[in-house]
Amino acid sequence: MSWHGIQTVARLELRQRIRASRWAIVLGIWFAVIALVTVLSYWAMHDPQVDSGASMYDIVIFFVLGLGMLVVPSLTATSINGDREHGVLATLQTTLLTSADIVLGKLVAAWAIAGAFLATALPFLVWAWLEGGISLGRILLSLLVLLLVLAVVCAIGLMFSTLTARPVSSAVLTYLAMGVLVFGTVIGFGLTAFLVTQEETVSVYGIPDDWWEKNPSSIAPPPPGTEPMEPVAPLEPTRADCTTFDRRTTVAHTERIWWMLPLNPFVVVADAAPSKPPTQEEMYAGFTPMRWISAGAREARRGATDEIRQECNIGTNFQESPDPLADAAQREPVWPYGLGFLLVSGVGATLIANRRLHTPIRRLPNGTRIA
Amino acid sequence: MLTQGEPRGIEVAGVRRAFGNVLAVDDISLTARPGEVTALIGPNGSGKTTLLLMLASLLVPDRGTIRIDGHDPVTQPTLVRARIGWMPDGFGTWDALTVREVLETIAAAYRIPPDQARARVSELLQTVHLADLADRRARVLSRGQKQRLGLARALINDPGVLLLDEPASGLDPRSRIELRDVLRSLAAEGKTVLVSSHILTELQEVADRAVIVARGRTIETQQLDGDLVGAALASWRIDSLDPERLQGWLTERSVPARRVGGGLTEVEAAGEENAARLLADLVRDGIRVTAFTPSQGALESAYLAATEDRQ
Repeated sequence: MSWHGIQTVARLELRQRIRASRWAIVLGIWFAVIALVTVLSYWAMHDPQVDSGASMYDIVIFFVLGLGMLVVPSLTATSINGDREHGVLATLQTTLLTSADIVLGKLVAAWAIAGAFLATALPFLVWAWLEGGISLGRILLSLLVLLLVLAVVCAIGLMFSTLTARPVSSAVLTYLAMGVLVFGTVIGFGLTAFLVTQEETVSVYGIPDDWWEKNPSSIAPPPPGTEPMEPVAPLEPTRADCTTFDRRTTVAHTERIWWMLPLNPFVVVADAAPSKPPTQEEMYAGFTPMRWISAGAREARRGATDEIRQECNIGTNFQESPDPLADAAQREPVWPYGLGFLLVSGVGATLIANRRLHTPIRRLPNGTRIA
Repeated sequence: MLTQGEPRGIEVAGVRRAFGNVLAVDDISLTARPGEVTALIGPNGSGKTTLLLMLASLLVPDRGTIRIDGHDPVTQPTLVRARIGWMPDGFGTWDALTVREVLETIAAAYRIPPDQARARVSELLQTVHLADLADRRARVLSRGQKQRLGLARALINDPGVLLLDEPASGLDPRSRIELRDVLRSLAAEGKTVLVSSHILTELQEVADRAVIVARGRTIETQQLDGDLVGAALASWRIDSLDPERLQGWLTERSVPARRVGGGLTEVEAAGEENAARLLADLVRDGIRVTAFTPSQGALESAYLAATEDRQ
């Protein structure tokens, strides 16, 4: 393995891509779609009272990742077996290039193209930044995580292209793997959630459930025939009525199954740099899908705790947050686990691809041609 | 470049390779010497391409040993790859690249410095007569032109051992003659050239020896020199104005003969000496012979004899 070898393969790949495929058209469509989404979200969210940057940032990143997951697998999913079919792989294998040169060269080339796709989204992220409400650091961090996630997607595609003889099957397998990561994790989480949900006794600090029974006067109408002296003010519990008591209720122990969520690339990217929750003065949450994903995953990780539930939401000093998920931003992040898992998978996929490209070949899978 | 005393050429001993339950190469042994063109001939599916894949360090033999200039392609693939030029059967190219770029990419893969590579590529494009197509996309090349590009690709690292799989297929007559000259001059430079082909007449003119394989086995190794042509049992075709008399004459003297199409008669004679005598006798006895030609080359005869049991 050498940098020279990797460079030779990467340059060859890039040259072919740029000339052969309708790459300019794809990039153009990509740019147009992101532009459209950004403009629409700006239009929908724009409000002089609110920093709409957070919403725009969330929507753009969400879309870039979604589209990336669709486009990027196609960069590598047929890379090796396609070359085999065209009879050009063996041409490289009989030179001084090693299998690692070929694998990494193809990976670098695909990653560079994925990077080019990301780069076209940059102007819109800059726009979101100018709108305010999102820091440059967050944008850079999520771009870095996006780049890493897309590299992993490239590596997985490359691995499948070495595992099957026909490009069609490896493309299907790659998209299937993406489907498992994106939808499978969520479905798996949803289906196992009922397994960890049970009836439990929890401690609550708030107005006891039987408070209303114990204070019947508050709801009892005046006895018939008597004229009320003055209108009876309906009796309301006050903060002084809050006590700690036990309650039987269903509890979902998502802390046992939360680990499925960060395997999802969307959760990783969303949780790496979520936009700040809106301040209380704003009273307006905006449309921020990535922050919701992040908050949901963090809440799931926290799951059910032994802490006393605070339900004493009475009185003047209580003000409801405009965003019920605002607290989640303070919780422990989940993305390092997910990113770690994805990177390990990516490295594993690359190693498998490298192994499958090793020549001379001892065992040849059915239907594979060498040259 | 090569140190003194280093073994050169190709040595294959008892090589076997199966794909699943299909035995592609059963037991092939051969020697190809430097300075010679060795022909590998055999029917379709006799294991020629598989053997060349093993020689090209792409496939591990199940059994047996291979030495390329003394190196084992299984344990020392890099040393072997630096020494070989392999031209596959059905050479694929990167369609989007120009002819020159294809060769320059291969040169880079052999770590030839760019300026040296440029000179080498121009030189090779002249050799294979593709200089005028150098800046066209490889996609537009015809099959024969692609074959010539494949030959240039195999020569780019100035290999000491050439492995050519059906290099003449798809070539026009002029290109074939040129290929022959290229192969001869490579052998004259002291390189080891192993060519697999079906075009026997072609090979007979270029090859120094022929290895005949069938059903994955080496059937025989034939030295292709004057002695073979002079002594081998060969068929001769006779055209005569007196076909009936000719037939009777041959039967009388129990010369092995048979009628072939177009009123021609085919006889077998061991060596040119006997053939000449037969012709002299026919003319002496007043049989009007209008044509007397060898129907097969010596290599063809040897090939047909060796692969007779194909059915």
